[in-house]
Amino acid sequence: MRSQLRLPALAIVAVLVMTACTGASQSPGAAQPSSPSATGAQPSASGPAASAASGPLEMWERSGGNAPMVDALVAAWNEANPDRSINLTYIEHSEMVPKLAQAIASGEVPDLMGLDLIYGPQFSSAGQLEDITDLIGSDPLLETASPGHIQVATWEDRLYGVPLYADVSVLFWNKGLYKQAGLDPEKPPTNLQEIHDHAKAISALGEGNYGYYLPGNCAGCNIFTFGPLIWASGGKIEPADCDDEPLVGANIPAVLEWARMMHKEGLIDPAAQAETGATFAEVFGSGKAGIMGTGNFNVVLAKDQNPDIDLGVTLLPGLDSGNVASFAGGDIVTVPKGSKRLADAVDFMRFILSDEVQVETYAKLGNMTTRSDMADNKYANEDEDVAATAQAIPVSQTPFTLKFFELINSPQGPWLQMLQKVYYGDEPIDQIIASTKEAMTAIACE
Amino acid sequence: MYAGKRNRWVGLLFLAPALLFVLVFVAYPFGQMVWVSFNSWTLITPPRYVGLDNFGRAFADEQFWDSLAYTIKYTVLITPILMVGGYLVALLVAPNTPLRRFTRAVVFIPVVIGLGASSFLWYWLFSANYGLVNRLLIDLGLVERPILWLGTNADLSTWAIIVSVVWKVLGFGMILFVAAIQAIPSEVNEAAVVDGASPWQRVARITLPLTMRTVLLVTLISVIGSLLAFDQFYIMTAGQPFNQTATSVFWIYQNSFPFLKLGYGAALSLILAGIILLFTVVQMALTRRSAS
Amino acid sequence: MSVESVGTAAPVGRVGHALAIAWSGRQRYLTGAICIALCTVILSPIVASVLASVKSAEEAAAIPPTYFPGSLSLDSYEKLWTYQSGLPTYLANSFGAAFLTIGIVLLLTIPAGFALARFPVPGKEALFVFLLLSLIIPYQALLTPIFLMFAQLKLTNSILGLAIIHSAIQFPFSLYVMRNSFESVPRELDEAAVIDGAGHFQVLVRIFIPSVVPAIITVALFAFVTSWNEFLGALVMMNKDSSFTLPLILAAARTRTSLGGTDWGLLQAGVTISILPCILIYLLLQRYYVSGLLRGAVK
Repeated sequence: MRSQLRLPALAIVAVLVMTACTGASQSPGAAQPSSPSATGAQPSASGPAASAASGPLEMWERSGGNAPMVDALVAAWNEANPDRSINLTYIEHSEMVPKLAQAIASGEVPDLMGLDLIYGPQFSSAGQLEDITDLIGSDPLLETASPGHIQVATWEDRLYGVPLYADVSVLFWNKGLYKQAGLDPEKPPTNLQEIHDHAKAISALGEGNYGYYLPGNCAGCNIFTFGPLIWASGGKIEPADCDDEPLVGANIPAVLEWARMMHKEGLIDPAAQAETGATFAEVFGSGKAGIMGTGNFNVVLAKDQNPDIDLGVTLLPGLDSGNVASFAGGDIVTVPKGSKRLADAVDFMRFILSDEVQVETYAKLGNMTTRSDMADNKYANEDEDVAATAQAIPVSQTPFTLKFFELINSPQGPWLQMLQKVYYGDEPIDQIIASTKEAMTAIACE
Repeated sequence: MYAGKRNRWVGLLFLAPALLFVLVFVAYPFGQMVWVSFNSWTLITPPRYVGLDNFGRAFADEQFWDSLAYTIKYTVLITPILMVGGYLVALLVAPNTPLRRFTRAVVFIPVVIGLGASSFLWYWLFSANYGLVNRLLIDLGLVERPILWLGTNADLSTWAIIVSVVWKVLGFGMILFVAAIQAIPSEVNEAAVVDGASPWQRVARITLPLTMRTVLLVTLISVIGSLLAFDQFYIMTAGQPFNQTATSVFWIYQNSFPFLKLGYGAALSLILAGIILLFTVVQMALTRRSAS
Repeated sequence: MSVESVGTAAPVGRVGHALAIAWSGRQRYLTGAICIALCTVILSPIVASVLASVKSAEEAAAIPPTYFPGSLSLDSYEKLWTYQSGLPTYLANSFGAAFLTIGIVLLLTIPAGFALARFPVPGKEALFVFLLLSLIIPYQALLTPIFLMFAQLKLTNSILGLAIIHSAIQFPFSLYVMRNSFESVPRELDEAAVIDGAGHFQVLVRIFIPSVVPAIITVALFAFVTSWNEFLGALVMMNKDSSFTLPLILAAARTRTSLGGTDWGLLQAGVTISILPCILIYLLLQRYYVSGLLRGAVK
């Protein structure tokens, strides 16, 4: 009689015991026998003053960025620091915000976090990042680091991150198509009107060739490559905060009219309307786009994609010749609040800013160096197109706003809505600008 | 043998693991969710009690009602296709010839692969430039340039998703309908043949009424599943364009995760669960009535 | 109208025969053609995906896409194999979570089915409805409270934690099937065992479990498929690449190429690997899969 009850009762106890004990057996594949950075432990009272320890570091990086670059940096660090190797995890970029919040709430934060630089103000103002001013703020390595990155990594005069990698936006033109269209392949467009005229000649070639390209469903691509056209025409786009007026500039209507005209005249591939950014980086390399705003990373990419391509690099212009602009983008690397390996994390930051890594990791892969004094190096000088992209740095800027995602990058945000109305609709431009201003102000003042 | 007071406790003991599990891992988080719905909480800042504010906001939230309307529209579009299509296919493959049995097995294959994998698969097939659907349409001369299926036009996106889900779950209804059809005693059908009824008359007058209970059950399962649809929308359109293909659960997800409005997301979940519960009760009442 | 008859040969043979006569003649060719057309349409997407996964990397990214690979290549599978923590790790995680889910679900539903089918449990029907309630709760909203609970239990980034969530999702359906199956075991069987002096637990193990093997296999199959393919729970619970499951890799493939482009070949390889075990298991265990489902659901 009693034996009947014993076994099921035993089973219940077994389940409960199993549940409680599994904490000891962490995830498979991550061998951490005696890791001092025990996850889930209470934040130590001594705070982030701990000195460099040994044991693996956890690093998150957002997906959809320059993954090969980050892989290379982590690999270089792991080779030089095998006792403090970094476990890199790519996090879906739309999940970064909630995941970090969950991590902080549960006490299991990663030691390093790479994020799109424009989110720097949002995270630092919310107190989710460690203040590293005292540890690296006055380091000479930072003196020549990309000012755009440093600016967005600074909040109320305290530093929260350093550049992880840098991109700038530039204008490519396809010299092969130029020749075919009877244009001078060494004379790129220097203002919006010239873009239009050159694009017209190229589109006339037919066979799937289009003179220009603007992605229709990618907010980020547009702020990167269309935004500078507005900036170069003297316009300002996003509001810095609630009191700042968005979309200010006498020439903005003209630029938007130009964009609409480019579409209406069929100078842009209609398939661009569906471009969400997933295939944006491959458009120019396909050889069917005559002129296109894109990033410095596309130099190496396009040549890999299409070794016969003959391309030229120039700066994104505005309405008038002589005015140029560029978007300084990329990622910064930060330390989430509550990390117990602050000293090691900062060591990583020094590592990636060091001369050796700047040249042998960044430049060797055809990427920009994050320190301007390292831009003149043997690898960059090998490829004149890569070297040409460096010219964008002095005229580049990075938007600074606490609500970049909701205002600009969000697929449901006012920036993309405005552009889609401009590109594909018939609503009067003034009306579009007015309603966008309203929407942006509402978001900035939430 | 099972009667008696002691056996009541034995039974409870056998039920205990399941009860404990559901209590700890379903009921308790659910209770927390209910509590959270009365608060405003972004995880980083402590929860702040707001009473029924979140529920009030839900009623004023245009996107919530838009998503609900869209979810219902999706359900209303896909359910008849699944039921009628599933039933027709069931009628086709009910006889136990080798070919029909083979067809049954094949149509059921998409059911066993995951909704996630299926959605990624169709995400590729419907890709404007890289997908085979457009390639086929262009090769057949039906369209001139690639159709922008996903993410640009709400209706096209909806139909693309419907195609992918129908492909995936048609077999589920089919199998259940086949079982119900085969359970009809053959004498009934034979008698109708003798009486001179045509095949379609037999379906309408005999097969359908005798399998109605199964049809209603499958419809119920299908409708609940459609009202709670999420994966395929997250993967194929992410609610694009402009949240026009955002189902109710997708909107709940948006609020709970990217927006970190946990209290509001919880309130929305409760409202949605309430709506589904209401619908389930109504449908079950209908089922009981028609079974008699 | 007993569903038992669907699983056994004799009555179905008669029904099938009658139906075959009914649809005879020219119609047979027409319906035969429709069957073949239907099979082709249903199988095409899967075949297309598998073919796409063996294209070379350049061909996988070509515009316009090709129907058949020009040359066979394992490029995409190599990329998948060496992606971040490596395919073996992700497969181990996915399989581990799936088998743990099967174990947990069976451990819970077998005794529960027994209890509900035979014992006079107080408030039995109410408890049954309570246990099924989670069917209508959108589990997406429960994930955050569960995450915080698991963080304290040290169950985040663990396949056991994920298996618990998957079990919770799969539980109502499994309980429903299991209970139905237990109830259809003829009482004479267990009564005979009791007369022979067996205790309740022995009855469960010696009589019931062998009788409900089809339902067990059905439940195990569905539990496997649910767990294997589950996406959002894994997305929320797993913060370390070494803990990722296969569906997360599929999502990652969409922003994998430099600067956020989709690696189509990688995606197809991932999709193929995702669906292969499911189809294989189904084909091998087809008999149990379908009959168990019918036995449990249509009653």
